[in-house]
Amino acid sequence: MFSDLATLTDAVTLSVDGQPVKARAGETVAACLLRAGVPYNRLTPVSGARRLPYCMIGHCFECLVEIDGIGNRQACLTLVREGMKVRRQAGAPPALEPSVP
Amino acid sequence: MSMTAPLPDADVIIIGCGPSGMAAAVTLAEAGRSVIVLDMQPAPGGQIFRSLEANLCDTSPAGQSLLAALGPAYRAGTDLIRRFRACAEIDYRPQTTVWEVRPDGTVGWLQGMNAGYVRGRQVLLAHGAMERPVPFPGWTLPGVMTAGAVQTLLKAGHLKPSGRIVLAGTGPLLLLLANQLHQLGVKPALVGRTDRLSDSVRASRHLRPDGLLPLVKGLGWLGRLKLAGVKSVTGLENLAAHGAQNVESVSFTAGGKRQTLPCDLLIVHDGIVPAIDIPNAAGLRLQWDGPNASWRPATTPDGLGASTLPPELSAGPCVLRVTGDARSIGGADAAIAHGKVAAQAILAELDHGAGPSGDALRAVDKALSVRPFLDAAFPPGLSQNLPDDDTIVCRCEELTAGDLRAKIRSGFRNMDALRGESRCGMGPCQGRSCMVTAARLLQDETSAAGCPPTFRGRPPIRPVPLGAVATLSGLDPRATIRLTLEDKPENASEDTVNAPAE
Ligand SMILES: Cc1cc2nc3c(=O)[nH]c(=O)nc-3n(C[C@H](O)[C@H](O)[C@H](O)COP(=O)(O)OP(=O)(O)OC[C@H]3O[C@@H](n4cnc5c(N)ncnc54)[C@H](O)[C@@H]3O)c2cc1C
Ligand code: FES
Repeated sequence: MFSDLATLTDAVTLSVDGQPVKARAGETVAACLLRAGVPYNRLTPVSGARRLPYCMIGHCFECLVEIDGIGNRQACLTLVREGMKVRRQAGAPPALEPSVP
Repeated sequence: MSMTAPLPDADVIIIGCGPSGMAAAVTLAEAGRSVIVLDMQPAPGGQIFRSLEANLCDTSPAGQSLLAALGPAYRAGTDLIRRFRACAEIDYRPQTTVWEVRPDGTVGWLQGMNAGYVRGRQVLLAHGAMERPVPFPGWTLPGVMTAGAVQTLLKAGHLKPSGRIVLAGTGPLLLLLANQLHQLGVKPALVGRTDRLSDSVRASRHLRPDGLLPLVKGLGWLGRLKLAGVKSVTGLENLAAHGAQNVESVSFTAGGKRQTLPCDLLIVHDGIVPAIDIPNAAGLRLQWDGPNASWRPATTPDGLGASTLPPELSAGPCVLRVTGDARSIGGADAAIAHGKVAAQAILAELDHGAGPSGDALRAVDKALSVRPFLDAAFPPGLSQNLPDDDTIVCRCEELTAGDLRAKIRSGFRNMDALRGESRCGMGPCQGRSCMVTAARLLQDETSAAGCPPTFRGRPPIRPVPLGAVATLSGLDPRATIRLTLEDKPENASEDTVNAPAE
């Protein structure tokens, strides 16, 4: 759905559900997930439907993920960091299940 | 029992570091005032000048072609950001989310896992606009995004969309994005506009000399897209996105024919509206802006808001002003012009100056003079008709229009009763995406007219992690007593039919 304007130079590596993923330094976690082509960043707590970021400016809360052990963080407002651990959310964060690929 | 008020942390707290917030901050700081600027984004610029500093430093060929595609209106923010950065009196706090604002100037903030309150003698809400929510069948599928989202990915993520792309909706931002994509070599399969030629004809009577430049710009965009062979339709209706797990196709009606197109990314936009989350939760009076079909805070020309809190419930007089697109949609020039007006009004309030100058007020009028034309030329389209029963309205709680209609018919005939019963507006987005649709459904079902009612805004308007609550600093013992969850009166216009007794 998205591709880079230019090859990544200034890259950092974070882990998404345990897999190493490269990101451009200074970008948001949401941008990194979209570049990586994940099919969803969370499954809704109500029906388990797949969701991806929708507004990218902090209003819709569709981009929620777990970051470094804390659930429900807005991926579109959080900058990537070397070694950051991101997990996609399955349902409500207190009942986090092992991530589905 | 007497308790003293905590000392203010700054003369002025500004929420939002877009064009209006920066213009106000610079004006105040240059007059010697202490200013705290809170913004949830990582760098100054707001929506239009997002990531401008970083992109100006990028001398690679790709960086240069991105700057060229984003155009002169983007680079126009360079000086303002430089002046903002150069002011030592400005205490700029990026990546800081505001989750509560009180009329007396108390502001709740969250930065990472730290949270607290700061107090300003005056507070300026410069938190901008958001894209109008557009419920249509399939709008929650992965692969549907807003034009602003795609533009944000360009500016701050250096990502361009690929695959089969359809743009649908209306408004300058949709055409601007289509052009930016075209300049980057991305050719959409379709630009489907909900507006029609008849809208432009009707709009032309609103045209003022100051509006000619934007008009010429807009025609230029359309011309370039046409030359590039981008397929386009006008009068698009009944948009739907289809797919099992993500968007696979879109369908719509245009020229009386139903059409279906394969699609990987559907980009929607239905104009922008003032973000009212903060004003609503702060208890400011809202009014309905008919031509833009949106709420806006009721303010004086210099931005002073009107508190709906009875005096005994507030720790002091209302010191909240609203500026920029949060007050009235006008774009960057109007936001900068009004940011200065609001700052001059604040200086007068702080005993330092004569109030907004005639020149400053005229600059706002001039910048806003094109709005009536734009409102008429690009009327809300995707959101014009109320959604069908099967369409999701509340994205967080996955409630459909049918769910809400049923609750309303069973007697939940005011917004807070409807929220309490259905959970609509209780998810993490706190009603930002569903409130206007829920209010319109309620009005439609109860044959009510006038300003659509709002949910009662309650802090925190953005989730505060438990760990951060534990660190909360700057609490005011007086306010803790006075402000309870139930203290905020209904908005003046709200329909106050009660929920049925269970
Ligand atoms: C998605 C989007 C894209 C746009 N793109 C363009 C464009 O390309 N060209 C154009 O001419 N106009 C664009 N606009 C119109 C834009 O509103 C104006 O051009 C201009 O940016 C308005 O300036 P402002 O200062 O009023 O608000 P903004 O520029 O919106 O700045 C408001 C700032 O407040 C911050 N904020 C909001 N709520 C909170 C909170 N609770 N806590 C902390 N910070 C908060 C926001 O993150 C933002 O940085 C866009 C609008 C939107 C919504
Ligand atoms: S994508 Fe909308 S809040 Fe992050």
